[in-house]
Formats: sequence, C-alpha cells, structure tokens
Amino acid sequence: MFAGKRLSKELLKLQEHLPPGITIVKSDNLEEWQMDIKVLDTNPLYQNQIYRLKFTFSSKYPIEPPEVQFIELSPATESPRPIPIHPHIYSNGIICLDLLSSAGWSPVQTVESICMSIQSMLTANSRDERPPGDSDFVSHNRRRPRDIDFLYHDDNV
Amino acid sequence: MASITLEELLAMETACDRDEIVDLRSLETVSNYDDHLMCPICRCPFVRPVRLQCDHVFCQKCLNSAITALAASRDDFTCPTCRTPTRGFYLNVPRLLVNMCDDIRVRCPFRDEGCSEIVPRGHVQSHVDKYCGYRLVDCPDNSCSKKTRKKDLSPEGRCLHELHRCLRCDDYIMEQDYEEHVKELCPSLKTNCPDCQTSVFRKALREHIDTCPEVIHPCAASKYGCPVKVKRAELMTHEKICPLIAMGPYFEAQNARLDSLELTIRHLQQRNEIFEDGIANIRSTLVQSSRALTEDDGPPSDVHTLPTSNPDIPRRRDSSNNQSQIDSSNLYTATTTNYLLSLHESLREEVGQLSHAITDLDARASMAIMNECLRLKEDMAHTNAAVGSMRMQVQWLMNPRLHQGQRTGARPNNAAGGNGTPAASASGPSTAAGPSTAFLRPRRLSDSGREGTKL
Repeated sequence: MFAGKRLSKELLKLQEHLPPGITIVKSDNLEEWQMDIKVLDTNPLYQNQIYRLKFTFSSKYPIEPPEVQFIELSPATESPRPIPIHPHIYSNGIICLDLLSSAGWSPVQTVESICMSIQSMLTANSRDERPPGDSDFVSHNRRRPRDIDFLYHDDNV
Repeated sequence: MASITLEELLAMETACDRDEIVDLRSLETVSNYDDHLMCPICRCPFVRPVRLQCDHVFCQKCLNSAITALAASRDDFTCPTCRTPTRGFYLNVPRLLVNMCDDIRVRCPFRDEGCSEIVPRGHVQSHVDKYCGYRLVDCPDNSCSKKTRKKDLSPEGRCLHELHRCLRCDDYIMEQDYEEHVKELCPSLKTNCPDCQTSVFRKALREHIDTCPEVIHPCAASKYGCPVKVKRAELMTHEKICPLIAMGPYFEAQNARLDSLELTIRHLQQRNEIFEDGIANIRSTLVQSSRALTEDDGPPSDVHTLPTSNPDIPRRRDSSNNQSQIDSSNLYTATTTNYLLSLHESLREEVGQLSHAITDLDARASMAIMNECLRLKEDMAHTNAAVGSMRMQVQWLMNPRLHQGQRTGARPNNAAGGNGTPAASASGPSTAAGPSTAFLRPRRLSDSGREGTKL
C-alpha cells in the first residue's frame, strides 16, 4: 500500500518532468517498470545506444530497494536494447552497484535517482570489459539479483 | 534541546497511530506545494515531522519504518539522506514547517460518496469527524454489516439497507437510495427523444433512436462518397435519386473482383517464390559439382566460390519439403546427370593423356640415367688407366732408390761381423713382402750412422 502510493507519486512527477536521457517505457502497474536510458556525453563505449532497465518493486518499497537490472532486446527488433559493457555489469544484465543492495540503499532514493546513478556509472567508465568471471557467473547464476552477495570494492565509479 | 532516543521514538508511533482516522498520505492535494515540504521517503507533505541531528526532516512514521527495516543494530542508524550516524531525534521542528504542511488544500477523503469539500489539510481531521455528511459510518442496526453515509442516517436509528420494490420497474432498491431512484434513475421513467421530442420510456430510448424518423442519418452510399446526411424520413426519397446508390452493386462487384485478383496475385507470388527457390537450388548443385571437379584436377583455384555457394545449400534444404519444388528439381536432376557424365568422360580422357605423358617421361628419364652411367663408366676407366700409369711411374722412380738402399744396408751388416747375417736373412723375406718397408727398416738402423749425410 505504502509502495503503491509512493510509486504513483513518483510516476506523476516523472510524467511532468523527465531528466534528460531517461524515458519511461512501461509503468502500467506498480510492480514492474521499464525505463530506457542513454549516456549523454560522448563516451565511445555507449554512444548512440539506448539501454533498457527493468525495475521490480516489492511491497516494501521504498524501505527495501527495488530490483534493477538491464534487459536485452534482440538486435533484430526495431528497437534493439543491448546490455552495456561495463566492469560492474554482467552480460545477463545484473548490475553490481552498492546503491541497489540493502546495505547501500536509502529510502530517499527514487527511480529517477537510480537511473541517474546508473547513467553516471556508465559515463565514468572507460574500460571495455565485463566483470571478472562473467561467463561463469552468467551460466551458473539462477539467483535473483537481490539474493546475490556482491563485494563492493571499487569506489571509483 | 529536547532530544529523544530511538527507542522512545519507536514507542511513540503506536500511541499516535490510534487517534488517526484519516490517512493524510492518501489525500488528494488541490493546491500546489513546495517540493521541500515533501518527506523524501513517502513523497507526501510531512505528517508529524521529526528532525534528525543533521537537520534532515522526515515523517515520524516513515522514519520509524526506515529504522526498523534498515538498521541492523539500532546503534548504527544513519540518516537516509546524508548517511550521518544518528542517535538523537528532535520533535520540535519549526512551527513554520508544520503550518505550511497543514495549510495545503486537500479534498475530503469521502469525495467518492459525494462530498465536494476542499479544506486545509490540518482541518481534514475535524471536517471528517464533525461536519462531513458523506462520511461512511456503520449501520445503526447491529445485525447489518453495511455502511451508510452519515447524512443518510435516520434519526430513529433504523437500518436503511432494507430492500424495497420499485413500483414502476420491479427492481429492488435499498431504502436509502429509494428517493434518488424514483426521481432520476428508474428505467421506467419517461424521457423526451432529443430529436423528435416525443416522450418515451428511458429503457426504450435506445431502440427509439434507431428508428426515430427525425434522426439525421447518412446516405447508404456514404462509403462510396455520397456526402448527403438527411433525416431518416427523407432518406428514402434521396436514395431513389442518389447516383451512388445506383452504382452500388457495380462497386460491390468491382470490389469483389479486386479482392479475388489480389488473392490470385498472392498465390502466384507464392508459386514464383517456390520456383526461384528451385532455381537457386539447382545453381548451388552445379556450383558444388564444378568445385568438386576443379578440386580433382589440381589445387583448387576457385576457393572463393565456396562462401557464395554456401547460402544456397540451406535454402535448398528449407524448400525440399515443398512438393512442387521436388518435381522441378527432379526435372533438373536428369540434365545434371548428363552434364556430370560428360564431365566424367572428359576427365577420363585427360587421365589417359596424363598416363601417356608419364610413361614418356619415365622412358626419357631412364635413357638419361643410362647415358650418364656410361659417361661415368668411361670416366672411371680413364681415371683407372691414369692411376695405373702413375703407379708404374712411381715404381720406376722408386726402383733405383730401392736398389741403393739394399746396397748401403748390406755394407754395415758386413762390417758388423758374423751376427749381421741373421739380420740380413731376416730382412730378406721382408723385402719380398713390400719394397717400401724393406727399404725403410735398414735405413732407420743406419740413421744413427753417417748414412744421412751420405744421402
């Protein structure tokens, strides 16, 4: 109930004013939203690309963090959405970002602020690589992002 | 400063929650309010705000849920906004802030029931409590579980949820809604048709509009472009003279023809695609066979044809389940076989030619080898002869020396006395064995003497 109220308020605000590079794709229910984000500067890794984020909200949002990950739409469709290359983004779309863990989360964060954090995380990156052990993780992981214990070691992003 | 601890704050909430009827967060605000009046957790104007040590303000309830959910131990609770570790909470937020929040205009929460009142948020509680006639309250009859609007409560405390039968429409209506039903909603009430002004039953209005002679109705040929719209009564006269109506059947027939032609075209397109597939298939077979031939001949010079022919192969496989495709490919297989047979013949000829060439080459090679052998033999004979003559010369040159050596060797032997005879007799057979050894041995013996100077 709390989550629904808060999300409908956020949605109203977002529909009034969207930050640059962020668009709402799907927000018809209050459990799963999809947003498209772009990197605004001229970082060659992400130029001319649009990425899709999937937000899954629990009933305890905003006290609990939402589950956020990139989803991939095949390049064959008319709106291809790849998974951005980044040393903290696995190729299945799971993001290693302390803001999204229950330890780093704060209830004052919003969908908008998460999108902007991820935008800046991409902007600041110059390394064209996946996290170490990506293929292993991608082929073995069946857990949901919230159940994974990430080790947040990199303070530079 | 009146600072309270975290435990006290948590205990306060349960006490405050009880006397709250209206959920202030779900109220619909009418006036715009500043974003700074909004709790960052629930995104509503602050409800009973609390201030932290770091001067950040939250609703008390939001802060409580954040504390219970986030802080692993109560000691390390940090401000949700700035993450400053926090122990003290202050309830005395500036009066200004509370007043501004309470001054925001909201709609009465019972708007759906009919209350159109807009009041400041601080007064909503008392409005609902005392003045709002639309507030839902429990039915005074204890056996009835329904709710009723406060203004509809009967003074005698009777239950108004009893069903009454409407005399006109035979429906059952609750007593509290009866008056409204009879006045406005009952389907048996008469109403006036907006076009012809005749009065009809409310429930029959829809049927009436379908047949009302006064309703404006478009011409039946409007889909062919007739712009005329007249009252239904006049429509008949128009349709008699409308040229498009007369053309109607013709248009229909043309449309049907177009449809069937389009269908035929689609069929033909499909057939065409099948044939094209077949041709591509044959072409790929040819490319493959010619490649096989060139590979037989020698090093494949046409490797670059490989990628171009490859895409044809899966296409052939795709279409092979098509019946007509198979027919056409059968037809082509015969010609392909012929072609392959002729290629085979020419290849056989080439192989024959090659084997001829090889035997020829073989014969030539053996002739050359033989010639070379003869020449070598001759050379060797010459060399042999040369070696023989050289030996003869050496022998001839050696002979005088040999004789000289024998002579000088005999002289000291004789001078040495009687014991020199066995030595001379011993050297006798050795001279028979080889002239050089026989010559050297006595010479070495005489080396110590004046023999060297003599030479």
